[in-house]
Amino acid sequence: MITPLIRKLSQAVDFSDDDLATLTRLTSRQRTVGPRTALIHEGDRPGPVRLIMKGLACRYQSLPDGSRQIVALLIPGDFCDLHVAILDRMDHSLGTLSNCDIVEIPRAAVLSLIETSPSITRALWWATLVDEAILRNWLVNKGRRQADLQLLNLFCELLCRYEVAGLAQGDTFPLPLTQEELSDVMGVSVVHANRTLNSLREAGLVTFEKGSVTFPDRARAYEVAEFDPTYLHLTRRR
Amino acid sequence: MPRFYLDTSDGDFKITDHVGYDFADRDEARRLALDTLPDMARDKMPDGDRRDFICNVRDEAGKPIFTATLSLIARWLT
Repeated sequence: MITPLIRKLSQAVDFSDDDLATLTRLTSRQRTVGPRTALIHEGDRPGPVRLIMKGLACRYQSLPDGSRQIVALLIPGDFCDLHVAILDRMDHSLGTLSNCDIVEIPRAAVLSLIETSPSITRALWWATLVDEAILRNWLVNKGRRQADLQLLNLFCELLCRYEVAGLAQGDTFPLPLTQEELSDVMGVSVVHANRTLNSLREAGLVTFEKGSVTFPDRARAYEVAEFDPTYLHLTRRR
Repeated sequence: MPRFYLDTSDGDFKITDHVGYDFADRDEARRLALDTLPDMARDKMPDGDRRDFICNVRDEAGKPIFTATLSLIARWLT
């Protein structure tokens, strides 16, 4: 079975049949988690490594004033916390946004994968580097771009990522977020997040329908958003 | 929880809130209005010497109950 995980990691590595069997076996036991549910909190001791198979989840940090900043959106095929398999404490929290199907891979299984399969190790390393690159782009977006371009740039990124996971439909991708959650992603007030959505819609750059986003003209959106997908590393090093 | 409507304008782009936000009291609505203005100002390139960023709050009945303005004022001194 070609899961979103295998589709994604195959961007980086050609897997052997054994590797594919291993990856499929790892993700065979899934459980469903309801929307807006915490998976693990900052400060907790990391348990199993979680992988999103279906739905949308996020990494976030809570602030003393009760607000929070979402620092990553996790779509099918994304590991929530691969890197914490070797760390002692969670430095951020994880939670679902929509209904999610999640796989929990025991820490020991992840560590033994690393010892037995160089291809999978290389693919996991690649996935971690791409996660870091995405975070860098978010930082540039937040630090240096106006909110409308920040948001449009994020939408461009999500469309590319959903395409890799095999879950985009043409120029449409799912975005099951409330405006409050979107404001936690953007780091602006919910009123301004709403203004920003409206301004993108009025400019004809995106349309919204039933929890999904569509680009009427993807090339124009990329240009306006100054979006260059290089940082997603979707082409293989030769 | 009472519902409040927050209308915003930066002089070019005006939004009338038809959906509203639920808050425990009007102070929370005031706080959101004040939080919003710096975000709006950050996003608007100054193209003249004066720009007013406005956020007005209406109550459930649609009656205006609060207004906040952030003004960007530029002028040469010599």
